[in-house]
Amino acid sequence: MLSEPSTSRPFDVHGKPGERTSAPAATGRRDAVDPALCRQWLRDMLMIREFENRCMQQYQDKKIGGFCHIYIGQEAIAVGCTAAVRPNDPIVTAYRDHGHALARGMAARHCMAEMFGKIGGCAKGKGGSMHMFDREHHLYGGHGIVGAQIPLGVGLAFACKYMDEVIDGQPNSRVALAFLGDGALNQGAIHEAMNLAGLLDIPCVIICENNGYSMGTSIHRGTTMGHDIISKAIGYGIDGYVVDGMDVLSVYHDMSAIVEKCRRESRPAFVDMRCYRFKGHSMSDPRKYRTPEEENQYASDDPIGRLKLHLEERGELTEAVLKEMQKEIRDEVREAIAWSEASPEPPMSELYHDVFVEPHGPFNGTSLPQMLQGKDLR
Amino acid sequence: MPTTVTMPRLSDTMEAGTVIKWHVKEGDTVATGDVLADVETDKATMEMQTYDDGVVAKLLIGAGDRVAIGTPIAVIAVDGEDASSAGAAKSAAAAPTTAAAAVATNDEAPVVVTGTVVMPSVHADNGARARISPVARRMAEELGVDINSLRGTGPGGRVIKRDIEAAATRKGSGAVAAPASIMPVVAAPAPAAAASMPVVAGPGSREVAVSGMRQTIARRLVESKSTIPHYQVSMRFNMDPLLELRKMLNAQLEPQGVKLSVNDFIVRACALAMAQHPYFNASWAGDRIIIHGEVNVGVAVSLPAERGGGLVVAVIRNADQKGLRQISLDTRALAEKARTRGLGPEDMMGATFTISNLGMYGVDNFTAIINPPNSAILACGAAVERPVVRNSQLCVGTELDATLSLDHRVIDGAMAAEYLTTVRHNLENPATLLV
Amino acid sequence: MSTVTVIDPTMTATREIEFRDALREAMSQEMRRDPRVFLLGEEVAQYNGAYKVSKGMLEEFGPRRIIDTPISESGFAGMAIGAAMMGLRPIVEFMSWSFSLVAADPILNNAPKMLYMSGGQFGCPIVFRGNDGAGGQLGSTHSWCVEGLYSNVPGLKMAIPSCPEDAKGLMTTAIRDDDPVFFLESERMLGMKGHVPEGDYLIPFGQAKVRREGTDCTLVSFGRPVNFCLDAAAELAKEGISCEVLDMRTIRPLDIDSIVRSVRKTNYCVVVDQSWSFGSPGSEVASQVHQHCFDDLDNFVHRVHSADVPTPYAFNLEQEYLPNARRICEAVRSCLYRA
Repeated sequence: MLSEPSTSRPFDVHGKPGERTSAPAATGRRDAVDPALCRQWLRDMLMIREFENRCMQQYQDKKIGGFCHIYIGQEAIAVGCTAAVRPNDPIVTAYRDHGHALARGMAARHCMAEMFGKIGGCAKGKGGSMHMFDREHHLYGGHGIVGAQIPLGVGLAFACKYMDEVIDGQPNSRVALAFLGDGALNQGAIHEAMNLAGLLDIPCVIICENNGYSMGTSIHRGTTMGHDIISKAIGYGIDGYVVDGMDVLSVYHDMSAIVEKCRRESRPAFVDMRCYRFKGHSMSDPRKYRTPEEENQYASDDPIGRLKLHLEERGELTEAVLKEMQKEIRDEVREAIAWSEASPEPPMSELYHDVFVEPHGPFNGTSLPQMLQGKDLR
Repeated sequence: MPTTVTMPRLSDTMEAGTVIKWHVKEGDTVATGDVLADVETDKATMEMQTYDDGVVAKLLIGAGDRVAIGTPIAVIAVDGEDASSAGAAKSAAAAPTTAAAAVATNDEAPVVVTGTVVMPSVHADNGARARISPVARRMAEELGVDINSLRGTGPGGRVIKRDIEAAATRKGSGAVAAPASIMPVVAAPAPAAAASMPVVAGPGSREVAVSGMRQTIARRLVESKSTIPHYQVSMRFNMDPLLELRKMLNAQLEPQGVKLSVNDFIVRACALAMAQHPYFNASWAGDRIIIHGEVNVGVAVSLPAERGGGLVVAVIRNADQKGLRQISLDTRALAEKARTRGLGPEDMMGATFTISNLGMYGVDNFTAIINPPNSAILACGAAVERPVVRNSQLCVGTELDATLSLDHRVIDGAMAAEYLTTVRHNLENPATLLV
Repeated sequence: MSTVTVIDPTMTATREIEFRDALREAMSQEMRRDPRVFLLGEEVAQYNGAYKVSKGMLEEFGPRRIIDTPISESGFAGMAIGAAMMGLRPIVEFMSWSFSLVAADPILNNAPKMLYMSGGQFGCPIVFRGNDGAGGQLGSTHSWCVEGLYSNVPGLKMAIPSCPEDAKGLMTTAIRDDDPVFFLESERMLGMKGHVPEGDYLIPFGQAKVRREGTDCTLVSFGRPVNFCLDAAAELAKEGISCEVLDMRTIRPLDIDSIVRSVRKTNYCVVVDQSWSFGSPGSEVASQVHQHCFDDLDNFVHRVHSADVPTPYAFNLEQEYLPNARRICEAVRSCLYRA
């Protein structure tokens, strides 16, 4: 659970939460998680970090165009949330989406190739960094317009419930996760979506990855009740929870409890997932709005460091295992880059492809990306 | 896309042209500016150039063939197209058009004259090509209607579908009357260049092939004489002061190689008179009179026999704004060009008044036929010494007889007299021509 | 171009019903046929629809499929798009297309682009429908013709019926279509009566209908103004001008072939479009006609649009503002050089 800021940690970008923040009881003790699963999470988080580091490098080498938003510092959230839901629970997120794609199971090569604008990308190079989609892994996008994905996420959950209850006549079995940043809190769309979710009993968990900054504006400069954002959800009749997003075990435990409650009750929830973005908002952010001291304090609280420490304390991680893990990951990302470079650019026939399902005029129909060919997509 | 080369419009009154000679053959590579053919227009034989680089895929007509303006005559394959297929595709399409054009050529109705009345004035006003709606242009090709013979009834004189339909109906019914909207007052004229009486070639007679120019002269002058209500007004001018001045000026100008002719003075005198008599610089346009903005004086120039003989009108542009010296230089250059290389369309287009001078042949006086779309032409005889009465004294003076032929639709007799009076004042007080 | 079988409407019995009944029949028949289809929007259920289009549907299909939403267009449009991404087939009713502007982001940025941006992974089989155009003295904010704005966006289809029969056939096709369809109705036409077949039938998208044959001028229109064109054509017939009235029925896809065929016959084209002229379907049609029929035209394509001003409230100004029959007659005469 969330720890109180101590005097030795003078920076607190979020503020003290309100009283109505109790999460449902955790389903298990922290050290009860299977060490092999913990090591898998460590690997997944290291993978995201290495991938994002290489993304920055590739961006600066001009291999990646457009906007590019780096997930470093927030890896515990994507990994912990993914671990807390079922593989067929749909998720949707915003534009800082590489971590969610990788955590959900997209191969690094398809994620990287997408950013390279190659045909091997998850969207054939038509979406780019902000628009990662993976039907096999029930990832309904990366979305570029701030807050716009939350109504979609509510719609995904609505569909899950409708299919189960209205079409199949059985209880609701799925929950959708809809991620947003704290900068999206002031977009009208999320308020409309929360109202609908509360009103229509929609099993959607709205997860605010609250890294304290809306681009360069701190949450307190841009958002009322910034210290207590779940109060906004409570206003829509939605239960709200504060979760320590810098600790994958907390994320896993709390989210498991929240998700299962939503699934069981077929109700929405809102999570203030407190975290810190180690890098800038995007690749072109000089980060003048915060101090090195603040950044250093949060860097010392690195979620990857925390999980390593946890495993080491339990005697479940040796230096050799870690080294080997890191080497494998480096090789895998290097291979993903090489594969993406080798992947051809989309052929010109792709320009008019995937505009309409039905071919007509210059529009030549649609087809699945390389990534999904031969996959069973139900 | 292959480029279709069509019969170009090389003079203001040209309606059809004859390819005298092809300079290229199928398969030749041509570049922009290369001469494709010599084309005989109604006035001269002109070089016709290509505006595209490419390969000559097909020559659609042969040397000697005469077709209407706009008729496809060659296909040029551009951008590495297959010349043979480009030519094949186009020649099939061009065939009916050519046939239609031939019909049009054979059926040249006298209504054409209305075109020659109007079109140059439209062109002179706008400096633009004929206005025609796209479908009207296409229908004209298909139906063999010569668009230059029509005045459009659409906005700004645009030739539109109904104009073509009306023209096609006239052609189809064999009627030769001009559309009412164009020439409401003109009775149906006789067929153009056809001989009015059967001509039988008797013993010892021989036939001479008629050139395009001769045909044009024949047709246009028949049209002019039979459709314009001509009448003549004459006046005699005292040329003594002018000849004296001319002698003095030529003495001064001789080192510069300039020699003013009597005709130069007449051009200047007529042009200056236009300011006071704008209807002499005008055209009858069916339902209105167009008074032109520029004074462009045409000078009839006869061509030597070795150039086929005949007659062209060289144009001194803005003659009212040119001094004697410039008029002289322009006239000389044009006459020289006409007799050697031949005049280009720009040298012959747009005359608004014409002077014909046979004085150099010793002719005392004569009358001329109006050069459409002008409203008047001045025929000048020679300046000759005669016994004259001046200041109640019989003496010897030099005089010149001039006769105006006039279009009564535009100019009435009194107006003609007033104009001639102004011209006489100018000529008899030649110092006014120097300022 | 449709992937579904077209049933000839002349083969089934017809009866005279209102435009709104035709819309309801199409939706109800499709909801009976396909459980993935549902209707949501403001006042669609308990209120029986603000314009009674969905009257009685709540009783038949229940609140799980006929869903009242709060006044929250951005939210419920976005939610429906999410549901469509998962394979449901929502019908979203905007009480007026004027209110869709607050949902511009989901309906323009998400629905028509999802298939492309996901590289073919997620389509968006959804129908957005509602009243379009001046309803009658509603003032400018409530009188939007959105076809000019929205038809600019690739990836969406746009159907604009002009009569009850087409309303039903086009709506059925819209619901079965795998791509997002913007379905534009008119408050002024909901009470219009017409003969409508009883059973299922589909009108393929991208097929214009000749509503009146003629030889002198092609009138191209869609939606409510088609009826103004028919009035104008009747008036012009008295002057000896024979107009061919083409009802486009969908403007995306646009059946340019039918327009070209007609214009090649008449050589004149007048486009009647109730949206504003600048950057409109009418300007697009005119441009395409000029492109395809250049050598067939005797005059440039004339256009009749709503006046280039915010929709006025006053009755007389609003009437003059619309592309009414008088203005159409004037345009035809001018185009035919008979003004």
